[in-house]
Amino acid sequence: MGISSEKIREATAEALVRAGSSFTPGLRAAYARALEVETDERSLWAMRQFLENADVAERRTLPLCDDTGIPHVLLEVGEFAEFGGAQLGAITEGIAEGLRRLPGRPMAVLGDELQRIEQSQGLSLHSEDVIPPAFSVKRIPGDRVRITVLLLGGGPEIRAKTYRIFHKHRMETVVDEVAQWGIEAVRELGCTPAVVAVGLGRTHFEATSLMLEAMARGDLERQTPLELQITEKINAGGSGPLGLGGRVSVLATLVNIGPQRASGVRIASVRTCCGIEPRRATVEVG
Amino acid sequence: MNPVRVETPISPEAIAGLHVGDFLEISGVIYAGRDAVLPKIVAMSDAELAARGIHLEGSVIFHTAVSVAGVGPTTSSKLEIEESIAPLSARGVRIHLGKGRLKADTVQALHAHGSLFAVTTPSTALLTDRILSTEVAAFPELGMEALYRVRVDRIPAVVAILHGNSIFEQQTQRG
Repeated sequence: MGISSEKIREATAEALVRAGSSFTPGLRAAYARALEVETDERSLWAMRQFLENADVAERRTLPLCDDTGIPHVLLEVGEFAEFGGAQLGAITEGIAEGLRRLPGRPMAVLGDELQRIEQSQGLSLHSEDVIPPAFSVKRIPGDRVRITVLLLGGGPEIRAKTYRIFHKHRMETVVDEVAQWGIEAVRELGCTPAVVAVGLGRTHFEATSLMLEAMARGDLERQTPLELQITEKINAGGSGPLGLGGRVSVLATLVNIGPQRASGVRIASVRTCCGIEPRRATVEVG
Repeated sequence: MNPVRVETPISPEAIAGLHVGDFLEISGVIYAGRDAVLPKIVAMSDAELAARGIHLEGSVIFHTAVSVAGVGPTTSSKLEIEESIAPLSARGVRIHLGKGRLKADTVQALHAHGSLFAVTTPSTALLTDRILSTEVAAFPELGMEALYRVRVDRIPAVVAILHGNSIFEQQTQRG
């Protein structure tokens, strides 16, 4: 038995549609702050377009962006939850159902391993064939499960970077390096203003997982001094929304710091999410 | 802001009168294509294109997929897209519409051929009512990455690169 698979399937589908068609209150608040400080005419135009688009998408349940993203799942399982393989399958089915409803962009590449790389066999016509990668799983207190669906667009993936930083035992070194990566990324990324997601860990896998968790759980309304510092340094670069200039290249930064290795090296994963991200929604089932 | 309204086919004179930073509203029949199809269009002769009813002179190419999810700009600096801009400008494409910074060589090629690069926000929901019709123009087997003929009404954009000037380089110099 355990937690109802049907409930999980429906809740996951609902989360995917919500993530793909609406701004979180935190993202709206970040735009509101940005509009207060911005004076550049083109920058204001671009940010108002982002907000107007979100209003229409939410009202009519339409995709925020035609790149509906690759669905990622952060799964948090209560220590007393009755949860197993059947329920995991229900999440996968819920993702497929959500992609049918949104609808997701039919961008799954057909063929065997080599054919998929060369994209020589064309694309699937079915939105639901865009399958998620392996889920991230964590244990939480209680007997319920919490499912967070994230939709990751392709533009930020071009600019995202996971690499080592020789930190010289100073946080400032890490901040400067991350900010420099961010400045380079927002200059190239077409869909700014960005939200910068940062994971700092011991391995590339861990840093990327922490970065994903920052996207899923980070607070866009209450920024830490560290997050504000990174945002300010990148904004000083002056790229502005769409690269058109202005004070706001970055709306906010989300930093997630994990365990660290005894070493002069830290592994940082930095993703400059586009102006409609993080596209995230969380549901609890139990 | 007072947007300049442009309608396809677009004359070289209409482009000559514009400036970096101008707001545009683009209407008429445009083409939509991206990474997979643009190199194929570059490789085709004008006669081959004309046989499919594709006419590049005075045209607009929107760097986007076309799918049930809608349309929205993809990153124009992706290799296959950016490499199409110079040869397609030489054959009459007057506006390349997408997003993101382009290289200095591309800025010069646009200038040499009297074409411009404009950017728009990823406003898929907002654009829904401004896309009047879509049909595949070439390479249907590419699915959402085929070349599409799209009738549009007032797509908003900003001129980013024109007359050898790039708004992106201006920001870098300021920064």
